[in-house]
Amino acid sequence: MSYFSDSLAGALQLITSFDAAIYKIAFTSVSISLIAALIAGCLAIPTGIAIALNSFIGKRFIQHILNTLMAMPTVVIGLLLYGLFSRLGPLGHFELLYTPTAVIIAEALLIFPIMTNLTISAVTSADPRLVPTLMSLGAKPISLAIQVAKQMRFAILAAIITGFGRAIGEVGAAMMLGGNIEGFTRTMTTAIALETSKGEFETGLALGLLLLVIAFLVNFILSWLQR
Amino acid sequence: MTTDAYQLHNIKVHYKKRCVLDIANLSLPQNKCIALLGDNGAGKSTLLNLLAFTAQADKGEILLNGQQTSSPLSTKQRQSIGYVSQHPLLLKGSVIDNIMLALKLQGIKPKFRKDLAQAALKQVNVEHLADQSTSTLSGGELKRVAIARAIVYQADILLFDEPFSHLDQHHYQQLEVIIQQLSQHNKTVIFSTHNRLQGLALADYSVNLVNGKVTFSPLLNLFNGHLHDHIFDTGKLQIHTISNSGNAHNIAIDPNEIIISKQPLESSMRNCFNGRLTLIAEEINSIRLTVDCGEIFHVLISEESLSQLGLSLGDTLYLSFKSTATKVF
Repeated sequence: MSYFSDSLAGALQLITSFDAAIYKIAFTSVSISLIAALIAGCLAIPTGIAIALNSFIGKRFIQHILNTLMAMPTVVIGLLLYGLFSRLGPLGHFELLYTPTAVIIAEALLIFPIMTNLTISAVTSADPRLVPTLMSLGAKPISLAIQVAKQMRFAILAAIITGFGRAIGEVGAAMMLGGNIEGFTRTMTTAIALETSKGEFETGLALGLLLLVIAFLVNFILSWLQR
Repeated sequence: MTTDAYQLHNIKVHYKKRCVLDIANLSLPQNKCIALLGDNGAGKSTLLNLLAFTAQADKGEILLNGQQTSSPLSTKQRQSIGYVSQHPLLLKGSVIDNIMLALKLQGIKPKFRKDLAQAALKQVNVEHLADQSTSTLSGGELKRVAIARAIVYQADILLFDEPFSHLDQHHYQQLEVIIQQLSQHNKTVIFSTHNRLQGLALADYSVNLVNGKVTFSPLLNLFNGHLHDHIFDTGKLQIHTISNSGNAHNIAIDPNEIIISKQPLESSMRNCFNGRLTLIAEEINSIRLTVDCGEIFHVLISEESLSQLGLSLGDTLYLSFKSTATKVF
């Protein structure tokens, strides 16, 4: 018990003393996840709105695929991208393996289906009169999509934040593609896994607590948006 | 030569395999006030959605001001139509934001927007609500703001779906005046209502819908039943008619063609029923009597006739009408 309580006290000490290494890792983690969430959002939101507003052959099939991808294990994405980015892979000449870019790409791919699905549900849950009203006022396909997005902005923002939350807690792909290089690709999750295996339970716990604080903040913002 | 605002040809709309609208040919003239009359589910809203191009027919074509239409409409065609649905949706924000959005979506240049918006709000007497949030409006205010949003870009055709529903007497009368004013300003106004007398009073011209089909009868005193050998049997009454079409299931009797008397009349009129007077109501330019003869009849008489006959509720009255005053379909 004293092992745990001593570690917890040490972890709090690391956090409150603003330990540079800990905060550097947290910063890397947050920035990688934020960029991944923004890139995925830029693609997922227009895709989600387009799918929700139009009826076309194969729409249901696409939604089934998106649902399946939502449950895709992160190590599988890591594995596939590792194959593509490794020196012998088809994208090997870009030398992306073990860079933050590779982690960003993996996390963006991971959260794209989640954000697309949440955007589709946001648009389909809008007032059924919204689209006919905008059309009768003269909205053309692009302006219609923009206005629908404006009206559903909180639900769409919630989709981005959910994506961010998923990205920051992800460990499999970040480990395989980032390689946990200190000061470069070391994120909170990969560091927790590594530090704990090294016996540095204290550092792992400090990072874990920070991750919990971030998760709490994300959920707090989400519930505030959904009010 | 004037073109029609709309020409509909062979329009068919299905909902879950059921045909909800079936119009072979229908022309709606320009610069007239037109009422779409019919019961709930008769297809009024479906037709208005087609006219507003917010829905598409499964079959058939619609000409707008004599021109072919395609989806989406051209900017010019879209600007010629203003539409207010039965339960209009105002977007979050202020009243003026909603009006400005309509102008923006219609591609009106920013420098003209403010003046147009203020003129539209003034026309429907809601200029004092310009900065108010749409979530705080009353039902009547919301309808008028929605009308302002539909008229702001100066469309030639205005479509109103059940504009009088859920309005109190005060807002009701205000809206009647607004519709009358709009139709006097070279606009084609098409509105739906299930209040047939009001529709007939307000409009220059009416289109009657029964089960998705256009019928040429005022649809007052409408009874269901079957026809056999020039007699239409409603189950409660047998009405003489000139028609003998075997597959007719509806009969309508023109409320202006029914003669009211306190004693039975000796006349050539084939139909004579007696019943109890249950309602005396004031309509525009006339008095409406409701008489229960087994079936409920509505009769329109003048104010002079009412005072001459000295009617009061509960009186036994005789209703007489010719077989030519009936329409069977």
